[in-house]
Amino acid sequence: MSQNAAHTKSESNNVKPASVKERADLALNNDFLRKAVRFTTERLRDGKQKAANDHGHWEEWRERGRQIRLHTIAHLDYYLNLFADNARANGTHIHFAATGEEAVKIALEIAQRKQAASVVKSKSMVTEELHLNTALESIDVETIETDLGEYIIQLAGETPSHIIIPAIHKNRYQIAELLSKEAGEELLPETTILAGFVRRKLREKFLEADIGMTGCNFAIAETGSMVLFENEGNARMVTTLPKTQITLMGMERIIPSWSDLEVMATLLPRSATGQKLTVYMSGISGPRRKDDGDGPEEQHIIILDNGRSEQLGDPEFQELLNCIRCGACLNACPVYRHIGGHAYGGTYSGPIGAVLTPALNKNVDQWDDIAGASSLCGACYEACPVKIPLHDMLIYLRRRKVERGYGDKVEGLGMKGFGAIMAKSQRFSNVMKVGRIGQKLLVRDGGIPSKLGPLKGWNNYRIAPKLADESFRESWKGLQEELDKNSREMDPVIQKRMEDLLAKRKLEELEGGAGHD
Amino acid sequence: MTEETHIKWLERMEQDSRTKQQAFMNDIARRLKRPRTTEAPTHPYRGAPDYWQEFQWSSVERIDQFTANFQSAGGHVFRMADMDEAKAFIVNKANEMLARYILRQNVSELASLRLEEELADTRVSVWNTNLQEAWKARAAEADIGIVIADYAVAYTGSITVLSSADKGRSVSLLPTALIAIIPLERLKTRLGEVLIDFDEAGQSGLPAGIHFISGPSRSADIENDLTIGVHGPGIVFALLVG
Ligand code: SF4
Repeated sequence: MSQNAAHTKSESNNVKPASVKERADLALNNDFLRKAVRFTTERLRDGKQKAANDHGHWEEWRERGRQIRLHTIAHLDYYLNLFADNARANGTHIHFAATGEEAVKIALEIAQRKQAASVVKSKSMVTEELHLNTALESIDVETIETDLGEYIIQLAGETPSHIIIPAIHKNRYQIAELLSKEAGEELLPETTILAGFVRRKLREKFLEADIGMTGCNFAIAETGSMVLFENEGNARMVTTLPKTQITLMGMERIIPSWSDLEVMATLLPRSATGQKLTVYMSGISGPRRKDDGDGPEEQHIIILDNGRSEQLGDPEFQELLNCIRCGACLNACPVYRHIGGHAYGGTYSGPIGAVLTPALNKNVDQWDDIAGASSLCGACYEACPVKIPLHDMLIYLRRRKVERGYGDKVEGLGMKGFGAIMAKSQRFSNVMKVGRIGQKLLVRDGGIPSKLGPLKGWNNYRIAPKLADESFRESWKGLQEELDKNSREMDPVIQKRMEDLLAKRKLEELEGGAGHD
Repeated sequence: MTEETHIKWLERMEQDSRTKQQAFMNDIARRLKRPRTTEAPTHPYRGAPDYWQEFQWSSVERIDQFTANFQSAGGHVFRMADMDEAKAFIVNKANEMLARYILRQNVSELASLRLEEELADTRVSVWNTNLQEAWKARAAEADIGIVIADYAVAYTGSITVLSSADKGRSVSLLPTALIAIIPLERLKTRLGEVLIDFDEAGQSGLPAGIHFISGPSRSADIENDLTIGVHGPGIVFALLVG
């Protein structure tokens, strides 16, 4: 199963449009999606802001989080090795998978060995990345997503649109319809009734499943433990009830110690949902002990590379490995807030997805597309709890694409993708006009011009630019013009205008009665 | 070819895994353009920022903050002078909520409450006391689970439970309601004060499951509308005793 050939059922059933622009057209036609995405992301973003302010010293914590991630990745061979050794000492079966195909093969082999009829899963982006559900179903293993939102979109045969709130694009009437079909009786579109049905239904599934499958938020090297953050309790179910547990984990998930977990536990929930801590934070160290009455008898952890190690030693992209998958950059991104996650077309959406998807896939000809759907305003960086310079990376991606001769398709590296999307909506086209001015001015610390130009500086980069390429020179000129390096600071007058416009938009929405409360 | 036994298969997988492990680590070192790191590197940024490590609340502040945080997450907090009061609370709640099944950890503090004597109409089971029993099913049908917290954290409003033969993970997870007794001396200010113990215990000193619980199970997946008790307990009582 190769990265590109692997499609989930839903993708192959109703073929996804090829480019971000076309996918965005689809997303834009769905009125509810737009409202829901904006409502939720704004709520999460405001919650994050409040949580960060309440906690205090936020910058110090962010910096600490960044340093811990940088240190761990810089010594990843030491810490990953230590983790594997300690996890084995706990009784965990550790597997290494260089590619997605290898990881899938191992997971399927375990399922076959265990003669598993069903697998209950808690939310895991890695299994999405591997299209593991489809693979399991191909060998007749029933695969049940147990996170409420994931369960809903699985019933709908779709893919998640947001890291933290996967079913952000569904309203309760649509959900009631889906669940009623499952229940074989009509369920009223009330949250408590719908959630109550899911609780009963999935409880049976947890108790009878042969395998529990999870992702991993952090893996603690010094004790070989894996840590999960969640609010519903389904990840606890999945790691407590079935006899066999399989955890899929990206090779970069490591932190050295439990003490370091305090920093991650401070940053992650605040950035993701504005909580001080998720309702459950669980540290699992190996299978059940000899006399324990619950917990898995056999525990497997599959450690996955699948393109991650490519970023190591790459000065422009290594920091991608610091990502703690909080989703804060999605909530901060004006483009994401407008078009929603499905328009990105990959497992990971929003600013992080725009960089991570091509980085993991090494798929240059798709780069512009996704990187183009960004306003380069830097809000993603400001929101990121471990300070990953995503907006810089988006520029690097565009540059690399041009260097490799794919530039002609983009016609200038500017905001074409974003522009096309924004032009769809009258209200947003106003924001867009201001945004165009704003994005130039928002370029942080003059970061983009000083890192990208002057041209001679490019010789320092790993990939030599093809200066002969005409389209490249044209593109470069376009980029230079877009990013006027004399205007580093955002003009306070313009900033005020943007803020007013946003406030007005919020007000309009309130008056329009989005009706979510 | 005869069918490979599961143990043999696991052994073969482990051999594979160890070989691949070396390849992985060598590849990482090569990409980072340096030799393998085999000695523990100095980690100057371990744990929380320095200012935070010194931060401490008084006992009264800890109680107030825990209460405020746990309540704002949708939990309930009660202050008790002693275990007798805790017992009275539990008996009252069980009667009031018409609890038919109660499941508790097998620990002496809870045994000495002698709940079964007070609650004639309620079946009180004790985790893992009978090897024939289907304990997960008992937990799944329980109305109330009762645990003694190993720690609690005021700053995040969290209860910590550690698993063992006598303290099943299911007891705090499957019942509809959870009652957690927190002896006051176990209530810390910061998360880090609890986590450091796990660092000190080290690999061989940890239980299989360490669980921080900060309120009732919740979800916002349906239209961002807060739903309580979607998988775990929907009602959580924290009893601060002492
Ligand atoms: S890039 Fe930063 S903000 Fe975005 S998901 Fe990763 S850690 Fe969170």
